[in-house]
Amino acid sequence: MADAAAHAHDDHAKPGFFTRWFMSTNHKDIGILYLFTAGIVGFISVCMTVFMRLELMEPGVQYMLLDGQPNGHLWNVMITYHGVLMMFFVVIPALFGGFGNYFMPLMIGAPDMSFPRMNNLSYWMYFTGCALGIVSLLSPGGNGQLGSGVGWVLYAPLSTTEAGMSMDFAIFAVHVSGASSILGAINIITTFLNMRAPGMTLHKTPLFAWSIFVTAFLILLSLPVLAGAITMLLTDRNFGTTFFDPAGGGDPVLYQHLLWFFGHPEVYMIIVPGFGIISHVISTFSKKPIFGYLPMVYAMVAIGVLGFVVWAHHMYTTGMSVTQQSYFMLATMVIAVPTGVKIFSWIATMWGGSIEFKTPMLWAFGFLFLFTVGGVTGIVLSQAGVDRAYHDTYYVVAHFHYVMSLGAVFCIFAGIYYWIGKMSGRQYPEWAGKLHFWMMFIGANVTFFPQHFLGRQGMPRRYIDYPEQFAFWNYISSIGAFISFASFLFFIGVIFYTLRWGQKVTEKAYWGEHADTLEWTLSNPPPEHTFETLPTQDMWDKHSHH
Amino acid sequence: MSDQQNHNERAGEDSPALSNSERGAPIISLTIWPHRSLSRKGFRNVILLTAVGLAIPIVPLLGSPVGWALLPFGLGTVGLLTFFFLWNYRDARLAEVLNLWPDRIEVIRTEPNGKILRWEANPYWVKVTLRTDGPVENYLTLKGNDREIELGAYLSPDERVELRNAIEDALRKVPRP
Repeated sequence: MADAAAHAHDDHAKPGFFTRWFMSTNHKDIGILYLFTAGIVGFISVCMTVFMRLELMEPGVQYMLLDGQPNGHLWNVMITYHGVLMMFFVVIPALFGGFGNYFMPLMIGAPDMSFPRMNNLSYWMYFTGCALGIVSLLSPGGNGQLGSGVGWVLYAPLSTTEAGMSMDFAIFAVHVSGASSILGAINIITTFLNMRAPGMTLHKTPLFAWSIFVTAFLILLSLPVLAGAITMLLTDRNFGTTFFDPAGGGDPVLYQHLLWFFGHPEVYMIIVPGFGIISHVISTFSKKPIFGYLPMVYAMVAIGVLGFVVWAHHMYTTGMSVTQQSYFMLATMVIAVPTGVKIFSWIATMWGGSIEFKTPMLWAFGFLFLFTVGGVTGIVLSQAGVDRAYHDTYYVVAHFHYVMSLGAVFCIFAGIYYWIGKMSGRQYPEWAGKLHFWMMFIGANVTFFPQHFLGRQGMPRRYIDYPEQFAFWNYISSIGAFISFASFLFFIGVIFYTLRWGQKVTEKAYWGEHADTLEWTLSNPPPEHTFETLPTQDMWDKHSHH
Repeated sequence: MSDQQNHNERAGEDSPALSNSERGAPIISLTIWPHRSLSRKGFRNVILLTAVGLAIPIVPLLGSPVGWALLPFGLGTVGLLTFFFLWNYRDARLAEVLNLWPDRIEVIRTEPNGKILRWEANPYWVKVTLRTDGPVENYLTLKGNDREIELGAYLSPDERVELRNAIEDALRKVPRP
């Protein structure tokens, strides 16, 4: 029998630095670890893009040289690792692992994740995946050089024939990070479904928590397919199987189907958590409950479901029948419907609201603009006929960077500025957040908008060099990349300043009464252990469906 | 969560203390368990949904080498999700059953690992306290037989107040000598 405790007590001695950060099972600490690790890997990946834009600034090859000759392998390596790191180790870990871990349990009033130790395991597997990715970059690869240059999609037969051990390390990196994501997704699903506060029905759960749950399901249903596909790549490379080798009866196009069956939902894994953050930010700074809570929830679910049935729009040029192309074209366009529901609901939330343009709101505004541009060019690319012209041109590069590099990254920044006071107890200088936003907004648009023009002019992607006629917009694009990079460096400074010297915030709900989910009932930063006593309904149900 | 019932589904079901034929049925029997927001039916639906979702890309490829290579990954994922859900339910198997007879009150606590702990006392002397100095808000304790135990520490503070009221009401109904 549990004897009564004599007095209130704190069983939890404050852990030391090593125990807290290397052995943590606390969802908040693990969330912070994800955010910092993703930030560091993101910095490495962004440095690669700056190097690439530097190279593309002028026609001819100026920097990526080997013995005075253009080094195409180095270019391919830069392209590959920028993609692999960003897709697997930066954006999803930051949004899903970082914010998801930190805020989803808080929003539903759970004391921690269902399986805190598995949470720790997920993080360290992700970390191992990052390390393997970097090891792959520095290992002997194709063309007698370091690293693999096969593109982030690891298409066979390029990936099955690339020399050296670099490719194997890259596959292991994706394997380990995939296993980490599956364990993380199981943890999120059990936590979300089983540990919501009493009275918090599914139709009353905050939108960010919903977004993380939908993302977890996308991961759970698609990553096993990728894991299987890359395992087959590994056996094709090392054990003489021919899953994707036509000489042995295999089919390389099947690999593309499997990859994109994962790859297209991956796009939504990246953006759906962002949808959740943006909903809270817009509601908070419009001083209104979110418009159309239930349609917002079901739009996310619909986007998730539709994301599984459109994958082959990435493959219009692989020889599919007209009927198949028609289907994938129509299915792709249908996604515009739930996406439109979300965009218009955000606008309707702002409509008639008392909008306050604090930094997180600026990022949310930026997201709305950029994501809409990226979405519209997505509709253009969904047309199989039009895609014949745009396939593998810079138009595609512009499109997916508008959705992911800009859309998702703006969500990350919106989340950081929205919650950094809550997570650290210190607030950033408002002017600095705004300056960062405007530098990034201008820089990113100057980088990627001209790439639409380059694509329309017919400039193909994945090349180290280009003819003279593409020079002007490439020059502009590179200037934009440098402005964006400067904004990133400035952001690192802002974070460093905030964490060391930022103004302390003591008010729990420092963004006002419309920041009313459960994390805003906690101190800044929250105590080590939260909601050990279940929260009551009046703590979170202030506005119905908000 | 608490529920008044005369038959015990959880902690007491295998307990000889409750097959107390010479005493007859207790005046009141309360079963308390930790909150879980997903019902068993919901759990089955989640597993079914996951299995169907994972089958969609694999079934068309079954019979081909690629299909067989994908199958273990799909099955493994469904298996892992089921295993962890069941584990999570097992962690919540903690339950406390309070039975009250005219001459005896007992609390039987079943730990998640199945271990059963008992306390009993004479209801005439039992003291129910809602403490403010406990480790949780509205800390509910029962004192009797020279021992003070906690009850429903995993409930919400309001639920502990309700539980206190229910126990006190029941104790008032006990015939006094």
